[in-house]
Amino acid sequence: MANEPQSSAGLYKQTLIAGLWRENPVLRLLLGMCPTLAVTTAVKPALTMGLSVIFVLLCSNIVVSLMRKLLKPHLRILMFTLTIATFVTIADLFLKAFAARMSETLGPYVPLIIVNCIIICRAETCASKNTLVVSTIDALGMGVGFTFTLCVLAGIREILSTGAVWEVKVLPPAFVPWAAMGMPVGAFITLGLLLGLVNAVSKKKI
Amino acid sequence: MPKAIKHFIEQSWLLIVASFFFGLLIAATNAAWEPRIEQNKITKIDNLMRGLLPKAEKFELAAELQIESAKGKKVKSNVYKALADGRCLGWAFNCEGAGFADKIELIVAVDEHFEKFAGYAVLASNETPGFGDRIKLPFYRNQFAGASAGILKLVKTGDAKKIDSEIVAITGATVSSEAVVKIINNSITQIKDQMQKKGLIGNGK
Amino acid sequence: MDTLNILLMGFISIVIINNLVFTKFLGICPYLGVSGRIDMAFGMGLAVTFVVTLSGTLTWLIDHLILLGTPLEVTRYVCFILVIAGAVQLVEMYLRKFFPTLYESFGIFLPLITTNCAILGLCLFINLWGIDNLLEAVVLSFGAGIGFTMAICIMAGIRENLNLADVPKPLKGAPITLITAGLLALAFMGFAGMISPS
Repeated sequence: MANEPQSSAGLYKQTLIAGLWRENPVLRLLLGMCPTLAVTTAVKPALTMGLSVIFVLLCSNIVVSLMRKLLKPHLRILMFTLTIATFVTIADLFLKAFAARMSETLGPYVPLIIVNCIIICRAETCASKNTLVVSTIDALGMGVGFTFTLCVLAGIREILSTGAVWEVKVLPPAFVPWAAMGMPVGAFITLGLLLGLVNAVSKKKI
Repeated sequence: MPKAIKHFIEQSWLLIVASFFFGLLIAATNAAWEPRIEQNKITKIDNLMRGLLPKAEKFELAAELQIESAKGKKVKSNVYKALADGRCLGWAFNCEGAGFADKIELIVAVDEHFEKFAGYAVLASNETPGFGDRIKLPFYRNQFAGASAGILKLVKTGDAKKIDSEIVAITGATVSSEAVVKIINNSITQIKDQMQKKGLIGNGK
Repeated sequence: MDTLNILLMGFISIVIINNLVFTKFLGICPYLGVSGRIDMAFGMGLAVTFVVTLSGTLTWLIDHLILLGTPLEVTRYVCFILVIAGAVQLVEMYLRKFFPTLYESFGIFLPLITTNCAILGLCLFINLWGIDNLLEAVVLSFGAGIGFTMAICIMAGIRENLNLADVPKPLKGAPITLITAGLLALAFMGFAGMISPS
């Protein structure tokens, strides 16, 4: 690998942007669907979930990257799982201690971060093969991309189902809320349409 | 055998060391934050009870009873005494039962003689948003405040503003409304009974 | 007879009314990325049913016999996921020894079951719902697996037919699958309230 600062900076920038759009975990890689649908009824829980995932992704990628030379091939998935489970437990405790109401709203979906395909996939494909810095940036990029997608989806669902965003009323009272948006139907269909939109836009770019 | 063990350790030493380290990390985090977590749980119930009996200064756990839910399942119910200036202002207890979608958990408050309801608050529920979810709203909850603490009856139409033992159901959410009334009916008689047997109420206390 | 009643109600509830895929959004991650053939879906469903019944029971046992109420409770999530990984390993080893052809056709799916949200999700839900006897835990775990299998088979069937239909280009693949799932979720909503609270 060439060690010129120029190419390193280029690689970092590329890694960061990949997670945000080109390889957005939810919209392009189709990972992490479960929490996406479950917590996006409103923007607050979506943001909380996104931040938790960023925290776990960062910690997990850093630890795995530090350990990468020591990993035995057939035990590595177990190592990843153990690492991720530990950090998710810590994140869950943090939420229970400092954001009790959000913790309740998110309910069992916080521990489900352990099986969130995004984190294990990034550990396997990126962190176990790259340097500490690249892994950290990748975690940030993927995490922010994920959070962004969640918030967009949540914003749409929250406005249409309650007329408010972040519990602040935005639409006039004349608007009759679409209660279906707050239920599984709305979640699936909105995400499906969003994905279709992204596909249409990306095809045009190419 | 020692060779097999040596091989085993050689392969999994990282796993063992990591487990140990992670275990420590979790234990430390838990130890640091557990008091806060416990406090949060207590504060939540406290806040709900305070909303129902605003004049109370503090709440004391008076009894831990076991009642039967409508389906015959044994449920734990904590009864709290609301105190102000050392005098009893009322009581609050938690109860639960089946709702339309999932379990509904309530906190019900009554006056000091267990004669009138002070109201209820929803501790946990998963009812349909916009319909059954309305059991959390004042329109439905206000009908319980002041009603006499006995068996309540759900009706579909009527005057919601009149405070008596007839409760008007929420339009489009009959099952959820009925669930709340059933839960309260089922628990109020059992709790009153057990509290009287324990001598905590009903003798001018 | 009463126990049987409760078990039956619980089973129906988790297969139809509180179906893990359509009401709790669990278990679709791996499904969306792979092709939608009914036989593969059914195979995956069966494997998941076996793993989830085993995991649900084991985690309930661990919870009630060891963890709950003790300081070890905070290691719940780590224990659960290790049990699930172990159960999947077991299934893998068993299949490889006794049904090698089946094992080959599963390919990458088998280890992927470990990260299936439905399994860990069910273990957590069983705790959340306060199930306090072992038989109920077993029946519910099994029911969850059956419900999951039913859901993805329905979706696979629809998806097979969609391949022949004229789907707009941007919507082909994952988007139309999600929209289909949404409509199915809407249909399943009709089952809510089937078991009256009394």
